[in-house]
Amino acid sequence: MSEFINENPNVVEDNELPRRKEDEAYQSLLGNAANGEALRRRKLLLKINHSAQSQALKNVELLDRLLLTSVPPELIPDNNEDTSEDDSFDEPADPIDSQEIYDLIAHISDPEHPLSLGQLSVVNLQDIEVHDSGEKDKMAEVIVRITPTITHCSLATLIGLGIRVRLDRALPERFRITILLKTGSHQSENQVNKQLNDKERVAAACENEQLLGVVSKMLSTCK
Amino acid sequence: MDGLIVSEDLGTAIISFIANVDINDKKADQIASNLSESVIRKRIKLLELVVALKEHLLADEASQRRKALYCLSSVLTKLPEDQLLKNEVSVIFSFYLSKLEDTELSKEAYSGLSSLAKMKYISLDNTKDLVKHLSQNYKPSSFLAPVRFFALQCMSNIYVRNESKLISDLAFADGYVKCFLHVANGEKDPRNLLISFKLNRRISSTLKNISKFKEELFDVLFCYFPITFKPPKNDPYKISNSDLKLELRLAISATPEFAEDAFGNLIDKLTASSFNVKNDTLLTLKACIDNFGGESLLKNWLPLWNALKFEIIHNNEGGETTISNAESGSPDVNNYQAALDVIKSCALQLSVFDVGAFDNFFSHVFEELKPNFVYDKDLRQSCSILAAIGSANTVTFDKVIENTLPLFLKSSSKTAKLKLVMMNLSFFLDSYIVVFNDDNTLHAQARSTNKLAGFQDEILMILGKALTGTSKVETTVRTLSVIQFTKLVKMRDYLNRDEMALIIQYLTETILTDTNKNIYYACLEGLKTIGDLQEDLLYEMSLKKLLQLLPSDSKDKMFLREDEPIEKENILKVILDFTNSKHRLVKESIIGLSAKLKIVASHKGTSDYCFLLASSLYTLLANNATLIRDTDASAIKEATEAPLLDMMTNTTAVTMEDHILTLLSNVLFFIELKTPLDTHQQQLVRFTELFDKDLQIFEKPNRGVLPFVKILGALNKECDFKESTSFFEKTVRLLKKNSLSMSELERLGYLELLMVLVNKWLKESTVEEFSNWNDTSAVNLEVLTWIGKGLIMKNSPMGVKFQRGLIKELGREDVGVFAAKLFEVFVIDITPMNRYKGISWNCNTKLLYKQKFFSEMFPQLVDLYKNSADLSTKSNYLTGLSLILKQIPKTIIEPYMGNLLPLLLQALELPTADVKVSALSTLKDTAEKFHQLVTEHVQTLYTTLLKLITPGKHNNVQVRLLALELLLILSSVVPLNYSLPYKIDIIRALEPVLDDNRRIVRKQCVITRQAFFELGQVPFEQ
Repeated sequence: MSEFINENPNVVEDNELPRRKEDEAYQSLLGNAANGEALRRRKLLLKINHSAQSQALKNVELLDRLLLTSVPPELIPDNNEDTSEDDSFDEPADPIDSQEIYDLIAHISDPEHPLSLGQLSVVNLQDIEVHDSGEKDKMAEVIVRITPTITHCSLATLIGLGIRVRLDRALPERFRITILLKTGSHQSENQVNKQLNDKERVAAACENEQLLGVVSKMLSTCK
Repeated sequence: MDGLIVSEDLGTAIISFIANVDINDKKADQIASNLSESVIRKRIKLLELVVALKEHLLADEASQRRKALYCLSSVLTKLPEDQLLKNEVSVIFSFYLSKLEDTELSKEAYSGLSSLAKMKYISLDNTKDLVKHLSQNYKPSSFLAPVRFFALQCMSNIYVRNESKLISDLAFADGYVKCFLHVANGEKDPRNLLISFKLNRRISSTLKNISKFKEELFDVLFCYFPITFKPPKNDPYKISNSDLKLELRLAISATPEFAEDAFGNLIDKLTASSFNVKNDTLLTLKACIDNFGGESLLKNWLPLWNALKFEIIHNNEGGETTISNAESGSPDVNNYQAALDVIKSCALQLSVFDVGAFDNFFSHVFEELKPNFVYDKDLRQSCSILAAIGSANTVTFDKVIENTLPLFLKSSSKTAKLKLVMMNLSFFLDSYIVVFNDDNTLHAQARSTNKLAGFQDEILMILGKALTGTSKVETTVRTLSVIQFTKLVKMRDYLNRDEMALIIQYLTETILTDTNKNIYYACLEGLKTIGDLQEDLLYEMSLKKLLQLLPSDSKDKMFLREDEPIEKENILKVILDFTNSKHRLVKESIIGLSAKLKIVASHKGTSDYCFLLASSLYTLLANNATLIRDTDASAIKEATEAPLLDMMTNTTAVTMEDHILTLLSNVLFFIELKTPLDTHQQQLVRFTELFDKDLQIFEKPNRGVLPFVKILGALNKECDFKESTSFFEKTVRLLKKNSLSMSELERLGYLELLMVLVNKWLKESTVEEFSNWNDTSAVNLEVLTWIGKGLIMKNSPMGVKFQRGLIKELGREDVGVFAAKLFEVFVIDITPMNRYKGISWNCNTKLLYKQKFFSEMFPQLVDLYKNSADLSTKSNYLTGLSLILKQIPKTIIEPYMGNLLPLLLQALELPTADVKVSALSTLKDTAEKFHQLVTEHVQTLYTTLLKLITPGKHNNVQVRLLALELLLILSSVVPLNYSLPYKIDIIRALEPVLDDNRRIVRKQCVITRQAFFELGQVPFEQ
């Protein structure tokens, strides 16, 4: 019995975790090179037929393609790369927001339950703060507050380490990552907080092959 | 040679047989077959065989004697039952009996006796002698399994030969049964057990004297229960565990005489902890109840009920009730359901036997479960039990319903309570479906008087309340309600039309106003179910209303009720989803939507809305193209063709917009495709008149060419089309003359027209006449490309000429770039040129044309690429090739991969996003299939890919995404020693991509980067 200290936590179903409203089909649409009017039209189509494979969508795409092919030579974008500067800024930018951070860490599996941190409500969307101006040369910050399932959870540091490794690998260097235990959620809150945000200690932990193996296993369920 | 043996050869045959036994059994068997065949054809007498064997039978060596007798027994086995005459049987029988004294020969002797026992002319005395011998002198425990097999075989054959005698002659039967019990005693071999069980079943179910022996007969069965057997590898008899289980079950349930012993013992076994044992027990109990009938249950139902109740209520609480039995390949084992089935059988047998007895049983069960409803305890189990009893037959159903439903069927304002009521109710609705949903005419009467009918109003009220009276957040309750509504619809004759209509109304309103996915699909399922049963009603009550709800102007807001606005997109989505594959609904939606489109198009600023309507129309037709019947097609044509044509030729309407016009033209294509074939000629004349004479599309550029080309595409290629040549000529001229003033869409329309004409009607000589290879203007190249496409699609020999001609253009500095872009056109799929199931007349598209095209083009392009010195022409060849690749199924490309891969790597460096995308997606498929090949190029691949992941003019989202995906694939397919040197570099190079503007790229980057972090790491235990 002592193996699992907290045997029956409240579990949120995987499909009930908070997620972005636009879904896969919409995202894949953005992946295809299309812009302006054509894209708007396709979005409209998705509203009535929810699949990136629908006949009508294919038809519209085909038309756009053909219209593009038959553009006479003088209108073909020429080949010199000097203008690439303005071009890259044409794209609309999706900001890095708390939902994105949540998606990164919510699927990490708990070291002692076969469940994810999101399902166990160890990480919660409202406990993630992102401060980012969106400019690529400015510093940005992410603060994640985690809630251990019980106040004496001995694995809080391991969970924290998993989240830190995940975010270190998944966020650009300009982000400063702070991982804290939610106030009052753990007996040795300060100690754990110190440990989690101490660069040297995290680096040391990552040198340990066995520990890294455990972390990898936790991260293996990430989507 | 017929293999027959005559008397003179007998000795040789016997020696050959004896020599082959145990060495080449197949050969020995062949000789035995020849011998028996010779006996049947009267070439030799059996007695001659015995005499010829005599010397061997009397040999000193036991093995020699055994082989000799084996020879005789083998021949006997193969003889037909009526071959031997009475005296022959008798002589041979005595001969065998005498051989039994020789212990070395037991197996062969019993084998011979078992063959004799089924002979038609064996005397009763001989049979009795055999029974007597087996009873007195045969000791099962002192023989091995093969010998026991033949002893059992003797018993079985005696039974088969003497069944009627055994039934009438009780004394003989007594002796026989005693003998059987003796022979079957202590058996362990699975093959023998199968015979023993089968024989036991026949004895127990047919003979009249078994009351005397019922306990012994039962014991010789039940001592094996629950039987488990794991067949050894290479089992020659192919007996499986379930064969034995099934045979034993059938035997145990063979006669009501076993009832007393069976129920008691089986109930004891129910306490077993093993899942499989319990399952076997439950299934056997059910078989017993079904076979023993109601009378035997009278004394036994109480203990049985107590045991089952415990099983259902206590042993299945929330735990796993099913385990999949992958090992034996049998379907899932579900003890909960099995126990319920036993109860159902119980109810059925009791009610059939005596309604009074059933009443007793039911009141007992009911009184025990009743308190559960008061305390809301074990409700699921209690309802399952009662519903199981109810699903036995009409009598039990009524009894259960009138007693149970009042216990819980109460409306409540608490959603939790409502949820419970619906969950409970669900079981009883299922019972109705089990009992009444069949074609039994007797049930029609019972259906009309069934007790559930009395609760109809209340049920509808409660479900209605759960659906409409609860807040939208209560998705579980609402979904449950929708599911129960659907069940009600499935229940045969339960609802009348008005009630169905009410449900349709509920579901329609819900599907329009609720945003929850589960509820949407539950409603959709419900509407589809109703559609299967009552398509007309669904049309009247739902589709009509949906069509009415569509606003006539995009600014209009539609409301279902006062405060519930409904989006038109939502309505269209519902229409598309639930009409799918229903003739009438598809037809009506097409007609309705066309009419709506006509109204909407007359308003200004409705372009998006028209686009949606046009897409919906297109989707309906494209998805149901093969399903629409001729009558529907005519109705659709009549109602929609004229207004659609009108919209598409009226130059001021919104419907003239590129997308809408194309979609609607395709709609026309499907409509014409489905018109009766014999009217096509007439249609052709009519449409030629309209587009040529009235609209004059060949005089100056006109958008009307789009509908025209699609209509031509649909019409029969066998039609006589005398204007085709002049149209072709005029089109070419028109294109060249107006190349600058024409809109893109018009140009595309005219080009497509060339393709359709060339593919379906034109003679090749005419085509040749009009194709000018000296003109290198853009428009002429386009013309040539599209003509070429028409030819290539029908595998015309002239197509090759066009291919070559255009390849030549790639090498030209001035037009090469443009020509390269055109290469995609050759293999792109276009609506009127696609093939549809069951339709052969619309085009001359050959199935394998892409394959032929590619196999011809590829070597040429590669050669030209290699031999060209100029960088820009090199890039033209690559671009052309990549664009073709994009449209070609990957399986066609595979054989060329070795040569193609280096080219693709070069293509990645070209400054066109399209080319990169095409090359990358081909590379992705390659990497997944040809590990060796990509490993050879891994260095180039890694360095090139890392250049493609950063944003740039030609690195659009798709390029970046594909490059990252390809990196991920490489991380897993390239051997570690090749990849590891790049690990650090790649991880570093991916870091800036984590800050990409697009989320979808970042997401892929995270996944890819993680894969490289884990490259070469010590694997964690799974």
